[in-house]
Amino acid sequence: MIIESIRKDIVMLHMPVDVVATFNVQGNIKPNYIRLEDENRILQTYKIENIIFCREDKYAGIPTILFCCNIIRGGQVQMINIKYHVRTHQWVLANEG
Amino acid sequence: MDNLIFHIDVNSAFLSWEAVYRLHIRGETRDLRDIPSAVAGDVKKRHGIILARSTPAKKYGVRTGDTINDALKLCPDLVMVDPHYDLYEACSEAFMEILREFSPCVEQYSVDEAFCDMTGTVGLYGSAVVAATLMKDKIYKELGFTVNVGVSTNKILAKMASDFKKPNLVHTLFPEEIESKMWRLPVEELFFVGHATKRKLHNLGIRTIGELARTDLDILRSHLKKHGEVIYSFANGIDMSVVADEAPPNKGYGNSTTIAFDVDDGSTAKMVLLSLAEKVCTRLRADSAMARVVAVSIVDTYFRYSSHQMQLFSPSNITNEIHKVSCKLFDQLWDGSPIRQLGVHTSKIVRWSTEKQINLFDMNRYEKQAKLDIAVDTIREKYGDDSIIRAIFLDGPIYHMSGGISKEKHRPNYNDGIR
Repeated sequence: MIIESIRKDIVMLHMPVDVVATFNVQGNIKPNYIRLEDENRILQTYKIENIIFCREDKYAGIPTILFCCNIIRGGQVQMINIKYHVRTHQWVLANEG
Repeated sequence: MDNLIFHIDVNSAFLSWEAVYRLHIRGETRDLRDIPSAVAGDVKKRHGIILARSTPAKKYGVRTGDTINDALKLCPDLVMVDPHYDLYEACSEAFMEILREFSPCVEQYSVDEAFCDMTGTVGLYGSAVVAATLMKDKIYKELGFTVNVGVSTNKILAKMASDFKKPNLVHTLFPEEIESKMWRLPVEELFFVGHATKRKLHNLGIRTIGELARTDLDILRSHLKKHGEVIYSFANGIDMSVVADEAPPNKGYGNSTTIAFDVDDGSTAKMVLLSLAEKVCTRLRADSAMARVVAVSIVDTYFRYSSHQMQLFSPSNITNEIHKVSCKLFDQLWDGSPIRQLGVHTSKIVRWSTEKQINLFDMNRYEKQAKLDIAVDTIREKYGDDSIIRAIFLDGPIYHMSGGISKEKHRPNYNDGIR
């Protein structure tokens, strides 16, 4: 029997993150800043430079909005996917497209 | 014009839903549907059975309802996950929502299956199979899990069709296809034929659905009574029932619980009955219903089932009253053997009845107790079930509202990541 807690095959889960976002009058959401750990495990705030696309999903009946966006990290542009959970108002850093 | 009915069935629902949740919401990389896996209860609480299993687990012979120990003997590498009823509810709701986009007439048959009357709306999609395929693909694309769709002219045939080959397929079973597609199947595959009926039919030499369909109805009637007529018409693809988009009102309210330890004293058993009565009566009151008949059931440690019921002087939904009656029934029923499972069930439901037969000897206690119950219900609705509990349950081994889906089954404890 494989006990769940000692499973090693899950590499990285979606991680809850802090996000600063604006909500406009039409209800559109735009993430502006995101707080992530840097190489030295210190929390850094990164500006979200631009949003490439966003998409509403409802996998497993749970509504989320996926934002694919660029941040500048260590002098380089990095593409990240963040997801907004509509019901719980949480933001997660996603590892999928 | 013939009716057109779809039956939509989620492929290993609990497992699929958990798999999708883990993939897309938690971000795990492994798909539970691709490995031998199962949703299973808690062995320690003696809820240790398989609730759903993946297709690879099925190949090992693991069946729904097997005990965890049996399942592990068949498949030692079986990955088991906890049940997650909050998720099932969310998935079920989203699933039904998509079906309602296809037709206004949808009957939710259980948490993971539904009938859809497409008679009037199939024209929007061209043909029936096109509509069914579109429906199946839309559910997969938007919600991430697969379904089977059965297409026919009535409910029984649609249900049989959705059961053919799985997963993620559309099957038709129109009346002209009954002979080629359904009659060769073993008789126990027919809806409404369970273990007992299967045995009786085998004794009559009936082994396939086709043989059942061609059997003389009088023979079936004499052996199986009314049920014989039902399965005879099902075997011939006859079913007059319509897709009911509104759920009929409950005919009874009952809850039962398997206790984590064997109960061998009456007072503990009566505490369990109180917690069950609390649950049942809360549900009755929430629906403005009252029950006239109360029944108590016992499963003992040897898995022997017994039950006993009585009619009340007047319908009631008062916890204390139902509990008192349950205890009386329990005392008459219990033979002293250790108890594994207890249940309280009510029937002969009366709705919207404001009048209550006042009993001379009760003085005005009923009115007071009814008001108390309402006050407790209101507090619980606002602040949660645990905000107010009877003192007898404080620090005890029994949760104050037993039965139904217990708290820990709503949401499993994931060790990390989003919940």
